[in-house]
Amino acid sequence: MELFAFVTPLFLSLIVAGTFVGIVFGAIPGMTATMAVAVCLPLTYPLGLENGLALLLGLYVGGISGGLVPAILLNIPGTPSSITTTFDGYPMTRRGEGERALKIGIVSSLVGGLISLAILFLFAPVLADFAIRFSYVEKFLIIFFAMTVMAALSKDTLVGIFSGVLGIFISLIGVYDLSDGGNGKTRLIPPGLDYWLDSGFSLLPVLIGLFGLTAVLCEAELGVPRGLSRSEVKVGHSSRFSFSVFKGQMLNLIRSSGIGTFVGILPGVGGSAASILAYTNAKTFSKNRDNFGKGEPAGIMASEAGNNGLTGGALVPLLSLGIPGDSTTALLIGAFTLQGIQVGPLFIGNNPDTWNAMIFAMMIANAAMFIMMFFAIRYVALIVTVPKHILYPIILMMCVIGAYTINYGIMFDVWTLAIFGLFGWVAYHTRLEIAPFIIGFILGPSAEVYFVKSLESFGDPTIFFTKSWIAMVLWVLISGSILISLYLARQARRD
Amino acid sequence: MGDLTRVTIDFESSHLLFPTIIACVLAVLGLSIVVRERRSILASGNHWARIFSNMDKVRFFGTIALTLVYFSLMVPVGDMWPNTGMGFLLCSIPFVFLTGALFLHDRGLRPVATIAVVALVVPTLVWWLFTDVFFLTLP
Repeated sequence: MELFAFVTPLFLSLIVAGTFVGIVFGAIPGMTATMAVAVCLPLTYPLGLENGLALLLGLYVGGISGGLVPAILLNIPGTPSSITTTFDGYPMTRRGEGERALKIGIVSSLVGGLISLAILFLFAPVLADFAIRFSYVEKFLIIFFAMTVMAALSKDTLVGIFSGVLGIFISLIGVYDLSDGGNGKTRLIPPGLDYWLDSGFSLLPVLIGLFGLTAVLCEAELGVPRGLSRSEVKVGHSSRFSFSVFKGQMLNLIRSSGIGTFVGILPGVGGSAASILAYTNAKTFSKNRDNFGKGEPAGIMASEAGNNGLTGGALVPLLSLGIPGDSTTALLIGAFTLQGIQVGPLFIGNNPDTWNAMIFAMMIANAAMFIMMFFAIRYVALIVTVPKHILYPIILMMCVIGAYTINYGIMFDVWTLAIFGLFGWVAYHTRLEIAPFIIGFILGPSAEVYFVKSLESFGDPTIFFTKSWIAMVLWVLISGSILISLYLARQARRD
Repeated sequence: MGDLTRVTIDFESSHLLFPTIIACVLAVLGLSIVVRERRSILASGNHWARIFSNMDKVRFFGTIALTLVYFSLMVPVGDMWPNTGMGFLLCSIPFVFLTGALFLHDRGLRPVATIAVVALVVPTLVWWLFTDVFFLTLP
């Protein structure tokens, strides 16, 4: 069948391998799905787009799902998105119900992943079809809207906006490209670095530095905490898992998956927000709300359906508008760039095979995650004992390969990785927010082109308000997100 | 009204328009943060002193030092055997070993031997994969 021409043994093997490696990364505290994608990105170069995406999407799904293992067994969220899984997962483990809690989390992850995939499949093409009509004005306003949403949902609105604008500013270093309609002149390059920064900082070394080197530095700062011994990992036998635990929880699962997907669609808002929102909602609407935090299965369901709901949601703005939904999907832009493909409203229509391959890969990755984790949970649980002193040096080495090979062997890209790795560590300690920074860095060059071209074409700044009804609707949304950010900032001050 | 809001973009200086606007926005935001956080900024010396006093200095600065030496040596070593990726391989083996040993808590014979084996096998495997299978350039 032509439709599934991309389904080869290699394609399927890469999904399964990616999912497995993703679970390993997710299950080890301090390592994340984003890190897994950053480290494995260079491997996709010779694989081609579909096979490369198969690997990366497997890593993404596995990485988000793996975080539940240490969250439930050790009370340590493997990834930030599984923080709320600790609330009820760990109390269940203490009661000797570790295996049951893990399986509840795994099934909920599968439901969240599949519901978000269905929304991605149905919603992204519609949004892309609509976005094709956008002129430079609307495209600029969409980016502006994305930045305001990000700011509104940042931990600190002002710092969130600053981080995003800083990302834009740094992305503008280098030439105003002729291929984008620019004048070919350079700007913002520090003296003596003209040769190296003529095209600015490359995206992937920046991302690899921020998610690879920064994570290792943060762990090194803590002394690279000792791994656990096998005897310390207690899965528990006292209570058997049964699917009957999901009776009466369908609404919780669907609502949490929907919340996760919605949060995923919002640019720059991480999985932790998805799981926290889903958990809070589940608690609010539950009849057993007093049991939340004491080992209530519904809490694990909400948290895991919510954070896996993010996976499909974060791909919606990426594939329909070219705006990454989270930091991991920002890295996926790197995979597209490596293969010379631009994501945006035309992507799905022009690349139906790649689109189908992505949907299929996500579906298989979710199934593979479920099979691997559900039926081998006792072995998967042991991943948390993998020694970091072996993994981290290999990760650093892979980061170098990723940065070096991205532009066919430029050593400055490796130094870029070092610069942004250190910057990420400083940002971590100064409360600068990395997700808005990255989104700003990715969208900055496009924002410039759309802004300048709009003014060059129309010669009137009021065009941003008057161009079309879409522009007006976008301004309403922008105003709404600014009002929300002001409200949230005021609430935070009161608290 | 139309004439009042009319702007003309000079193509020759158009590369400076957006960066200038963004720099101004950044300056305003930065200033706002400085004003709002003036107390914590003034006390930032203590913040950093606490970070440095609590950190594992050997492992943190050791990682930075090893990483910088690793990056610096790769090209000169690679230039001795051009286009073979030897710079990567010959620098990665000691880097993986030394970083692994730095992160290790109990430096007994067995864990050190494990790191030595990993340091030999993994970089060699990765080097072979990228140069002979993927045909990618390594330093």
